[in-house]
Amino acid sequence: MDTGELLGFIGPNGAGKSTTIKILTGILHPSSGAAKVLGFVPWVERQKLAYHIGTVFGQRPQLWYHLPAMDTFILFGKIYELDDHETKKRIDFLSEAFEIRDLLDVPVRKLSLGQRMRCEVAASLLHRPKLLLLDEPSIGLDVVAKQHIRDAIRRMNQEEGVGVLLTSHDAGDLEALCKRVIIVNHGQIVYEDKVSNLKRRFLTTKLVQVRYAEEVAKDFSISGVETLKVGRYGVKLKFDTTQTPVDSVISHLSDAGDITDITISDPPLEEVIAKIYLEVGEVER
Amino acid sequence: MKSFSKYWSIFQITLLNSLAYPGELVGRSLMIIPFMWIFYQLWKVTFSAAGAEVMSGLTLANTLWYLMLAETIELGRPPLARTMSENVKDGSIAYILNKPYDFLLYQFSATMGETIFRAMLNAIFGGFTVWWLVGAPEHPEGFLIALPAIFGAWILHFCVNAMIGLSAFVVEDVSAFTWIYQKLAFIFGGMLIPLDFYPQWLQTIAKFLPFSSAIYGPARLFVSPTAEFFVNVMSLQLVWIIALTFVLVIVYRRGLAQLTVNGG
Repeated sequence: MDTGELLGFIGPNGAGKSTTIKILTGILHPSSGAAKVLGFVPWVERQKLAYHIGTVFGQRPQLWYHLPAMDTFILFGKIYELDDHETKKRIDFLSEAFEIRDLLDVPVRKLSLGQRMRCEVAASLLHRPKLLLLDEPSIGLDVVAKQHIRDAIRRMNQEEGVGVLLTSHDAGDLEALCKRVIIVNHGQIVYEDKVSNLKRRFLTTKLVQVRYAEEVAKDFSISGVETLKVGRYGVKLKFDTTQTPVDSVISHLSDAGDITDITISDPPLEEVIAKIYLEVGEVER
Repeated sequence: MKSFSKYWSIFQITLLNSLAYPGELVGRSLMIIPFMWIFYQLWKVTFSAAGAEVMSGLTLANTLWYLMLAETIELGRPPLARTMSENVKDGSIAYILNKPYDFLLYQFSATMGETIFRAMLNAIFGGFTVWWLVGAPEHPEGFLIALPAIFGAWILHFCVNAMIGLSAFVVEDVSAFTWIYQKLAFIFGGMLIPLDFYPQWLQTIAKFLPFSSAIYGPARLFVSPTAEFFVNVMSLQLVWIIALTFVLVIVYRRGLAQLTVNGG
C-alpha cells in the first residue's frame, strides 16, 4: 500500500480481513510470514507503531461509555503524548471536520450510533496517524450517517494525507472511499485492481427501463434480451453486452413504440462483488 | 514526565468512571455491613465457648477490626481476571492493545482507579459497623500505618490476578482459576480466620506463601502497629512483589504471542 493511498480490503465473511488488520496493528502474532507497516514489524514494535496508526473496529466501542467523549479525547492526548495545547487544537479541528462539537460533552451512552461512530473515527485521528485502519466502520449506520463519515474521512485523506485501509461489507463505502481494492478469501488474495476497473471488467450486464406513450404488448420481448417485468406502459429489461450489442437493443426498443422515458444503468457494485465472490473466490453457493 | 502522566490519566479516568453509577457503588459497598455482623456473631460465640477474652494474642475486638481491614482490601478489588477474560472473549482487547502504553501498567493504573472509591466506602461502612459492635480499634493510628501495606497487598493481588487474566489469552475462560486463587487466599491468607489462630505448623506454611502478605500482613498490622511488625510485613511484601512481577512479565510476553482475538 502506498503512503496516503485509499485502499479497500474486502472479502466474504471469514475471509481473514479482520485477522489481517489485527496482525497489521500488532495485536496478533502470525504463525508465519512477514509484514511491515510504516517500517515497523507490527507484532515486534507494537507500541512504537501505535503512535503512527489509528484503528477503528466498527463492532466495538473505544470511547469510555459512561463518560463524555471529550474525556476519552483528552485521555488519548495524554496516551499519545501530545501537549495539552496540541490536544486542544486537534480536538477543535476534528470537532469541526466531523461535526461533533455539540456531542463532546454528552455521555457516550446517550449518543446515537451515527453520532458515536463520528466521535470514534475522530478519536482515532487525534494523534495525526499516517495510516487509518477501518474495520467495518459503517456497520449499523443509516444512509446519512454513512455519508457523513465517508465525507469526513475523505477530507482527512485529502488534507492530511492519512492513508486509509478499509474493510467493509458496504459497497457504498468502497465506492466513496477507495481508489483500489484487494479482494481476499480463505486468507488468499483473489483479486486486485482499481475500483473503476472492477466495474468495467465484471459489469457486462445492463439494466434498461423504458416507458412508452402507448400500452405495451403483454408478450413484449426482444431477442437476446431478458425481460424482467412488463407493465402497462413500461418494461424492465436486462441484457449481456457481450452477447447483444447495445445499439441493436436501442433500435429494437425505439422500433417498438414512442419512448417517453428511458433509463440505462449498471447493476449495483454489490452484484459485481457477489459475482466475484462466487466465481473468482470459489465461495460455496 | 509524559510517559508517567499517561498512566496517571488512565487512573483518573477509571476513577471517574467508577462513579458513573453511584447508587450501584454505594449499594455494593453496603455488603460489608452484613459480613461484619455475621463475623461478630461467629467470633463472639467462639470466644465465649473458649471461655477467654484473649486468644492467641487477639481479643474479640481485635479480631473484628482485623477482619474489617481484610474485607476492605478484598472487597475493594475489582474483578481484574474476569474483566481481562471478557476483553478477550468480546474482542475489546484489540482496543487495549492498539495503544502506545505498556499493557501491564495500563491494567494496573485502571485497576487502582476502580479500587479507590470502592475501598474507601468499604472502610467507612465496615468501620462504622465494627465500631458500633465492638468499640474503637485499640490503635486507631494503625490504619494509617497499615496504608502502605494495603497498597502493597493490592499490588500483590494485581500480579496474581493479572497472570490469571493473561491465561485468558490462551484459554479464554478463567473462572476456575480465580475460584482456586480465592479459596487459597481465604485459607492461607487468613481471610476468614486470622492466621494467629491456626496451629503452628500451618501458620509457618502460610507465612511463607504470598497470600499472607496480601491479606494477613496489612490486617494484622492495623491491629498491632509496631515498628518491628511493619518492617516484617513490608519487606516480605517487597520480596513477593519483585518475584511475582518478574513472573508476570514473562507470562505476559508469552501470552501476547498466543493471543487469539474473537470477532471478525
